[in-house]
Amino acid sequence: MAREQRIKVTVNGRTYDKVVPVRLSLADFIREHLYLTGTHLGCEHGVCGACTVSLNGRSARSCLTLAVQADGAEIVTIEGLRDRDGKRHPMQQAFHEKFALQCGYCTPGMLITAIELLQEKPDPTEQDVREALSGNICRCSGYQAIVEAVLAVARKEFV
Amino acid sequence: MSDKRFVNERAVGSSVLPDEAIPLVEGFGRFLNDIQLPGMYHVAFLRSQHAHARLRSVDASKARELPGVVKALTGKELFGRVEPFRSMPNRFSGGESVQHWLAVDKVRFCGEAICAVVAEDRATAEDACELIEVDYEPLPVVSDPRDGERDEAPLVHDSCPNNYLIKREYERGNVAEAFDKANLVVKRKFRIGRKQALCLEARGCVAAYRESTFVLTVWMSHQLPYVVRHYLAKHIGMHENDVRVIVPHTGGGFGQKASVYPEEFVCAYLALELRRPVKWVEDRLENMVASTHARDQYIELQAAVDKDGHLLALSSDVWVDVGAYSTYLWSAGMEPLQTAGLMPGPYKVPALRYRTRGVATNKTPVGPYRAVGRPSASASLELLLDEAARRLKIDPVELRLRNLIPNEAMPFRNANNLVHDNVNYVPCLKLSTTKGEYARLREEQRQALADGKLRGIGVACFAELTGLGTTTAVGPGTLLQPGRDAVTLRLETSGVLTVAAALPSQGQRIMTAMRQVAADELGINLEDIICLTSDTATAPYGFGTFASRTAVFGSGAVIKAAKELRQRILALGAFLLGVALEEVTVANSAVHTLDRSKSVSLREMAEKSYFSAKDIPEELNPGFEVTSFYDPKRGSFAAGAHLVVVDVDPQTGDVKIIRYVAAEDVGTIINPAVVEGQIIGGIAQGIGEALLEEIVYDDAGQPRTVTLADYLVPSALDIPRIELHHANTPSAALGGFKGCGEGSIIGALGAVTCAVADALSRRGGDIHEFPATPERVLRGLGVLPGGA
Repeated sequence: MAREQRIKVTVNGRTYDKVVPVRLSLADFIREHLYLTGTHLGCEHGVCGACTVSLNGRSARSCLTLAVQADGAEIVTIEGLRDRDGKRHPMQQAFHEKFALQCGYCTPGMLITAIELLQEKPDPTEQDVREALSGNICRCSGYQAIVEAVLAVARKEFV
Repeated sequence: MSDKRFVNERAVGSSVLPDEAIPLVEGFGRFLNDIQLPGMYHVAFLRSQHAHARLRSVDASKARELPGVVKALTGKELFGRVEPFRSMPNRFSGGESVQHWLAVDKVRFCGEAICAVVAEDRATAEDACELIEVDYEPLPVVSDPRDGERDEAPLVHDSCPNNYLIKREYERGNVAEAFDKANLVVKRKFRIGRKQALCLEARGCVAAYRESTFVLTVWMSHQLPYVVRHYLAKHIGMHENDVRVIVPHTGGGFGQKASVYPEEFVCAYLALELRRPVKWVEDRLENMVASTHARDQYIELQAAVDKDGHLLALSSDVWVDVGAYSTYLWSAGMEPLQTAGLMPGPYKVPALRYRTRGVATNKTPVGPYRAVGRPSASASLELLLDEAARRLKIDPVELRLRNLIPNEAMPFRNANNLVHDNVNYVPCLKLSTTKGEYARLREEQRQALADGKLRGIGVACFAELTGLGTTTAVGPGTLLQPGRDAVTLRLETSGVLTVAAALPSQGQRIMTAMRQVAADELGINLEDIICLTSDTATAPYGFGTFASRTAVFGSGAVIKAAKELRQRILALGAFLLGVALEEVTVANSAVHTLDRSKSVSLREMAEKSYFSAKDIPEELNPGFEVTSFYDPKRGSFAAGAHLVVVDVDPQTGDVKIIRYVAAEDVGTIINPAVVEGQIIGGIAQGIGEALLEEIVYDDAGQPRTVTLADYLVPSALDIPRIELHHANTPSAALGGFKGCGEGSIIGALGAVTCAVADALSRRGGDIHEFPATPERVLRGLGVLPGGA
């Protein structure tokens, strides 16, 4: 089997054409080849959720996805959440103003997961939010401020 | 900028939005693993697969032949070139342990580093580790501290008889007499499993030769940059001044990043030898075995109680499984000495006796983790108090009220020789039970039990000694006595104030806190203040962030330095405005005359001070830079009372928390939203400690829980909404501040374990081993065999 393969992916609106080792994870591709280090690695076995990115509109563990699997895909990472004018996404602003991050290591995965939730379910209950976030570990906050931030965005307190 | 929300007249007390969080929320934080330097090599470690074995040989020749491999360093090659970690002298030492950075003759726990491989990329370095041939001769394993202390047990270190790394016996007051005359003696056993801080970002470092003007620059995910600098230089044989330590954004610390470990020091050695930058990032599987564990205790305690439920004496026996080596810097004494010594917590204990030991085993060393020692001290005593209350038919809250140190008795010296003052134990308990409507909760519990539900209520009160000055030990019995930290205030020519201190944040928003304090002390707008907290090249000397000390030390030193800087600002301002010193004040980043008719901005003053010094009398222009050290001497007690209601499913053993009310005294609050985050986050870890988290080893010393699928930390579904209330009283420290980082994990373990035990007691059950996993709950109920 070839040790390297050519892939074409769009990340945060920019298309990249790269030759990558076939054993390279999508997380390492994003971080080390594209220098987008906002996506974090917490466990590298798919449990903690820190590495979650949006892959063709669905949240995905970039540590369990190979870069070659993302060939042709459209990816959004935390760096791609601000709008063209640099204004923070409402979810980013809510996380900031609701003190929903402490060390900030889980934040990239939390944001991607929370944004996906509200796309699928614009008016979630607190239990819906907790279930949606249950695959993302935060070791600092006790989740309360994160849940409040997501609910505040659902209530359109941040636009 | 964004410093707008909730801002009161004073910055202190306002939930000022933390600018320092903006890069993190936008994805532009810089964590250790985000650092890439040109020509950087990558390091991987070969780790022991055996818990205890002699190393007959380590052959790295095949690894060295793999293309891309630069170097494979064995323990034998490193031996003699650097100083190994000898256990920090401790007054209560049993014997000395020596930990080589890479194992030389023996390995003593699964995961101990044997060999370091340097390669052009991490994957190649890991591939090369697989090619190293190690000939192990397995040795008998010590896997339990109570077996390990027996005379016939195998030894982890030949220098430690009975495997004691720590041993202390203590008695104060007439314990024997108290037990003789007691109306009731209650006894309990308590077991808390092994824990892991589980920082979401594991450890790591980048070490580089001559990257700046320093010979060696080390970026490290760590809580104590200056302490690292000191010990790294000492052990590697360099001048401390030649070493620079920088802490990038850090993804959690919780004490795990407060110790000194071999791997980072090996990387520094390699960078110096290879004269190329090297990077090592701990992966999660490594982190579960190579970074310190916590807790792992067996406690037997008994209390002498009078007929009204007053404690007369407390006596305990504590065994801590401290693992294979005395954790470097802090010694193996952290858990054993603090658990036994701080057992009385917020309660009046007239007579105290304990025997405590830290027993070496063939497991990962136990080091500091949030609230060292005290969660199990507190939980074991709270469970005992509940038992006394049941036996005496006194309500558990009433029994606690009778034993808490009341405000009117303060200052109060307890039998463990600690003085309690300026702390609200009774008000916290009253507030939590009032807000939680305790009487109604008990009524609802009766109803639930009548309906066939298994409901329990737990109440726990705790004392947490924070912000320890030089007269109170952080590491009991050790030479290491942190208690002084410095802050430098410098008004830059831009008029912006720089606050520099070696107090890095792992999410506690210490920069924001110090900016708030400086803003109030100096009359400088928040947006005109920045902080540097993570680089030995820019910060004055300090010990770092641990032990709920940073806000106390950082703020205290800011207040001290600001007093002097304010005088200098006023003096120059008065001169420039042509008025008397008494005629001016400083506010909104400018010096004003009292009638506000004239003013001069700090920017203009700073420019003149630096650039036009010839126009200013020398005595009025000593420079806008002041460094002050602050030592609060004693520590300050923070406090809290937590009230928890749980429902236990008698079929599955599942525990569900249905109500959580906490009342805390954390002194004067700097930033309420930040403090709430600290408290609620600590509660979440305490819930994990009580119900979920446990590192399990088998009898051969093999770890069984090395992934996050096995070691369960709480998810958003495991943590209920926390109702938080404050009963704060200022401390005696400057500003009235107390630490708030650790207390809540103490209260959470006590309250949740008491609630579970209360539920089980309603069906004649009990529980002594925690976490209260479904299996243990069902055993406690007699559904599964084996007892509690």
